[in-house]
Amino acid sequence: MSRYRIPGMGRVDPAKPVSFTFDGKPYTGLRGDTVASALLSHGVHLMGRSFKYHRPRGPVTAGSEEPNALIGTSRGPGRFEPNTRATVQELREGLQAESQNKFPSLKFDIGAVNDRAYMLFSAGFYYKTFMWPRSFWDKVYEPFIRAAAGLGKSPTEVDPDTYAHRNLHTDVLVVGGGAAGIQAALVAAKSGARVVLVDENPEMGGSLLSDPAVRIDGRGSWAWLAEQLSQLRAAGVTLMTRTTAIGYYHQNFVGLVERVTDHLDQPPSGAPRERMWHVRAGQVILAQGALEKPLVFDGNDRPGVMLAGAAQTYLNRYGVKVGDNAAVVTSHDSAWYAAFDLVDAGARVSAIADTRDHVRTDLVDAARKRGIEVLTSHTATATYGRLRVKAVRVNPVRHGQVGAGRKIACDVLLISGGWTPSLHLFSHTKGSLSWDAESRTFLPNHKTEACQIAGAGRGLWGYGPALEDGARAGLAAVEALGRTSEPLAARVEGDRPGTGAIQTELPTDRSAGKAKAFVDYQNDVTAKDIRLAVREGMRSIEHVKRYTTNGMATDQGKMSNINGLMIAADALGKEPPQVGLTTFRPPYTPTSFGAFAGYHKGATFELTRKTPIDPWAEANGAVFEPVSLWRRAWYFPKGTEDMHAAVARECRATRASAGMFDASTLGKIEVAGPDATEFMNRMYTNPWTKLAPGRCRYGLLLGEDGFIRDDGVIGRLSQDLFHVTTTTGGAARVLNMMEDYLQTEWPDLNVWLTSTTEQWATVAVNGPNARKVIAPLVEGLDLSDETFPHMSVAECTVAGLPARLFRISFTGELGFEINVPSRHGLALWKAIHQAGQPYDICPYGTETMHVLRAEKGYIIVGQDTDGTVTPQDAGLDWAVGKAKKDFVGKRSLQRPDIVAPNRKQLVGLLTEDGTKLEEGAQIVLDPNQTLPMTMAGHVTSSYDSTALGRPIAMAVITGGHGRMGETVHIPMPNGTVKATITSTNFYDPEGERLKA
Amino acid sequence: MTTQRHDFNAAPFLLEELPWTPRFSLRVRPANRAALAQALGLTLPERIGQRATTGEAEALCLGPDEWLILTTEAQRDALAAAGAGAYAAIPHSLVEISDREITLRLSGPQALTALTAGCLRDVEAIATGTAARTLFDTATVVLWRDGADSFRMDVWRSFLPHVRAILDKITVELKTGL
Repeated sequence: MSRYRIPGMGRVDPAKPVSFTFDGKPYTGLRGDTVASALLSHGVHLMGRSFKYHRPRGPVTAGSEEPNALIGTSRGPGRFEPNTRATVQELREGLQAESQNKFPSLKFDIGAVNDRAYMLFSAGFYYKTFMWPRSFWDKVYEPFIRAAAGLGKSPTEVDPDTYAHRNLHTDVLVVGGGAAGIQAALVAAKSGARVVLVDENPEMGGSLLSDPAVRIDGRGSWAWLAEQLSQLRAAGVTLMTRTTAIGYYHQNFVGLVERVTDHLDQPPSGAPRERMWHVRAGQVILAQGALEKPLVFDGNDRPGVMLAGAAQTYLNRYGVKVGDNAAVVTSHDSAWYAAFDLVDAGARVSAIADTRDHVRTDLVDAARKRGIEVLTSHTATATYGRLRVKAVRVNPVRHGQVGAGRKIACDVLLISGGWTPSLHLFSHTKGSLSWDAESRTFLPNHKTEACQIAGAGRGLWGYGPALEDGARAGLAAVEALGRTSEPLAARVEGDRPGTGAIQTELPTDRSAGKAKAFVDYQNDVTAKDIRLAVREGMRSIEHVKRYTTNGMATDQGKMSNINGLMIAADALGKEPPQVGLTTFRPPYTPTSFGAFAGYHKGATFELTRKTPIDPWAEANGAVFEPVSLWRRAWYFPKGTEDMHAAVARECRATRASAGMFDASTLGKIEVAGPDATEFMNRMYTNPWTKLAPGRCRYGLLLGEDGFIRDDGVIGRLSQDLFHVTTTTGGAARVLNMMEDYLQTEWPDLNVWLTSTTEQWATVAVNGPNARKVIAPLVEGLDLSDETFPHMSVAECTVAGLPARLFRISFTGELGFEINVPSRHGLALWKAIHQAGQPYDICPYGTETMHVLRAEKGYIIVGQDTDGTVTPQDAGLDWAVGKAKKDFVGKRSLQRPDIVAPNRKQLVGLLTEDGTKLEEGAQIVLDPNQTLPMTMAGHVTSSYDSTALGRPIAMAVITGGHGRMGETVHIPMPNGTVKATITSTNFYDPEGERLKA
Repeated sequence: MTTQRHDFNAAPFLLEELPWTPRFSLRVRPANRAALAQALGLTLPERIGQRATTGEAEALCLGPDEWLILTTEAQRDALAAAGAGAYAAIPHSLVEISDREITLRLSGPQALTALTAGCLRDVEAIATGTAARTLFDTATVVLWRDGADSFRMDVWRSFLPHVRAILDKITVELKTGL
């Protein structure tokens, strides 16, 4: 048994020792311990160094609000976590823990020199110091600040753990498994509602776990707790421990993070480390309790100085005495009970100094009975000791005058400045708070969500009121859901009621300007800093916060916000609500990235769509590229070919004989119905009325603004049926746009849209031998140019498969696109590949497709257009049905800006020296103009063209269509490139090859 | 009572890919629903999420004017022909989408839990014998509830590898019992 463990106390298991190391030194704790309670059982209070001044620090709390005891934990490679709260991390066998912010060691730290230079590092230090010279910022100041900033070490290895996700719908979600939450859940469950009760601790019970002496319904509080929990289970309530409600969002959507394996010695393989729960609840009951505040005085951060409630928790829940000889400084009754528990457990409490003039006589009597000296109307003015508190200096206060100080020896100093209702989740909902002048605290006021707040979270104190209020909240929640339940009463004996006084920093007889009286332990903000901020002109608490960084650390001011506000309000001479309260934001406690990522990690990081032909491409060495959500074969390198060589070979083979391409990702929409033609006329710029069944047309889709949104070839299969194709990335967007118009503008049209993108697998065959390749496979169709000319479509059989066969081309060569039902896509691909062998058919990828189309000047929407390009700009006015009454975007095409002659227009570019331009490169008309130059446009597409034996480019240039033959200049880092403006139709401008 | 809890003794769920079956998307104005149902020899339920079986064909109402029809290979051509025959009098759209989706079956005591890992919707509230169009992870799916512990999920073909990979992760997770 370790030195400070008290046999027979606590909820830890004395029969189950657990070994761990802290800074390399081995220790033993017990099952049920946290790292903090285990270290405290060995008398170790020093657990870390502070962030700014590197002051030695120990745990000040026993819970998730802990600002000081932040440690690094590890369980092997990749599993290091910085800033783990030692007060939360449960002990597990072999846990490796290390302290932070220290060099070379925790007990002797060089960075502590900052502490001596304390007077230099006041509020706004960085703002004031690192201003000049300006040139020092990038090279000197910023790297220095970055190196000094940050808590703990960032992990550098890939996290090997897995994380999980769940969605959960429930009638009632209760946050907080203390006295109020348990009663609320029980009342709610009795209505037959689905109830979920969550608590961040390893077990339910909240403060009941730290108050075993209280009796409820004739039983000890722990026996009562066990009975209530079994009743909750019997009633079907889902009990979730180690689960933190991190955020409360609109419409009763609450995020939970469940810690699944961090407490296990040996997690089973494949078990997730954490699990994020997205909860949608009919009613939320917030029973989060209250958080204890420290008192602010010089030296209130020394290891061994601890909240009284934390000491009570270490004693009763973990069986750990935090010291042999305690002193207490308090402004709230609750610390008195903590002192009594310590004495009753065999520790010595030499004195209780209370800031108040009057304390309840029963408390004073109980203290004196235990041999505790009672000092009312007292302040604390200093602590002594280096790595551990040795004594506290207390002084009487009479009529505002601080009397002579007196040193009281102690090895642990318990402090309490009262309790702050935990309003974090309520604040997430933008619920408003009201200032309660009597208790001098903020309480929940106007609610924006369907929620109830119960217990200490709304300022109630004592188990009797909390139990009663929990039951009330449970009933209110189910009644709001239209259900009924029974009220639930509980009888409490030995309750611990309490009140307190709210303080600013405590009065002192010494120089307040030299006091290291900490308000925010984690960011090392002192009372002096806050008063300085006010003196320097900060009036709102939001400004004070940002100037001093008070409440901006990972604990989000759980302990510091109210103390900081009280001091700022005092300095301003205003009431606290006039100074304001900063907003709490999610997450409630620091949350791992893994929990947010969930399953979206590794191979499932992002949804990747694959075509039916994808397995063949993979087996044949394709290099893939992402295109919207799809992965597409980019090119098919052979042997040692690089991309450039592979693409050049694929281009050559296709133009010389035949190439094949997986075009399955193209969006496909079946437009069917008696009004299909009318619908097409209204949606697309082109006229459709006269397009005969069996024929195709290039379709251009604009937005209302007249700019190009999408394009694709559209086949008319029958009078009332169109097979529309869209760009790969535009498929869903175009269908949504069409549905939007159909449902909101033209509900009278008898036409329906069905996405068939995935119904069809599509193989494009291009090249002078394309017909010869597919002809032997085609049945029921004469492929000759006479009967099946360019821009034809027919239903037939290809390789024995039912097919829709298009004669179209995106390469400028004779081309066919064969659609078969997707499950046959791979079979079709293989059949064509086989049939093409005599013609050396070459499978090609998206890069070759891009080059071949650019050689013909065919645009790619989203590459050559950017949402500001009109049909005229793109040289596609021929696709606009000028005689049509209307189509989407038609009116915008008349706007003065749209018909202006100086718009950026799509042209071809050929460089004079044969360099390949960079896509995105800016173009100027005069390279000798003064800086900044006037940009005339930019390069949209640029490729090495094998067919032309030189690089080609497309670009948008101001008034480009009227500048044919002119020279423009492209300034690049290593010189300016000259280029000539040309047509975009670089290859076979007469289009003879299409007609083969 | 919520059924979303960890059952340490239950086997994880069974995941199967079901064989191909003919499938159509049917669109018709609500006023013509009954007449077209008669012409096609189907029952077309009126409420979204409702299903109706006629012989071996099953129709699911997905929207006020949208139905999903499952049929057999033997009856596929007859259904298409009946649609073509009725078209002039009752304009509608009957598009074959047999190859658009692939159907998974998830069954067993943990099937519901597995689905809650990916579906935002309250899966528990989908009544047996109904279906819903919803999301699994980021993929649109149609989720059919055939029994308390038996579901079918239609997934667009190209989304299937991702959905399967996520379900594989969930399977591993459920096997650990944590």
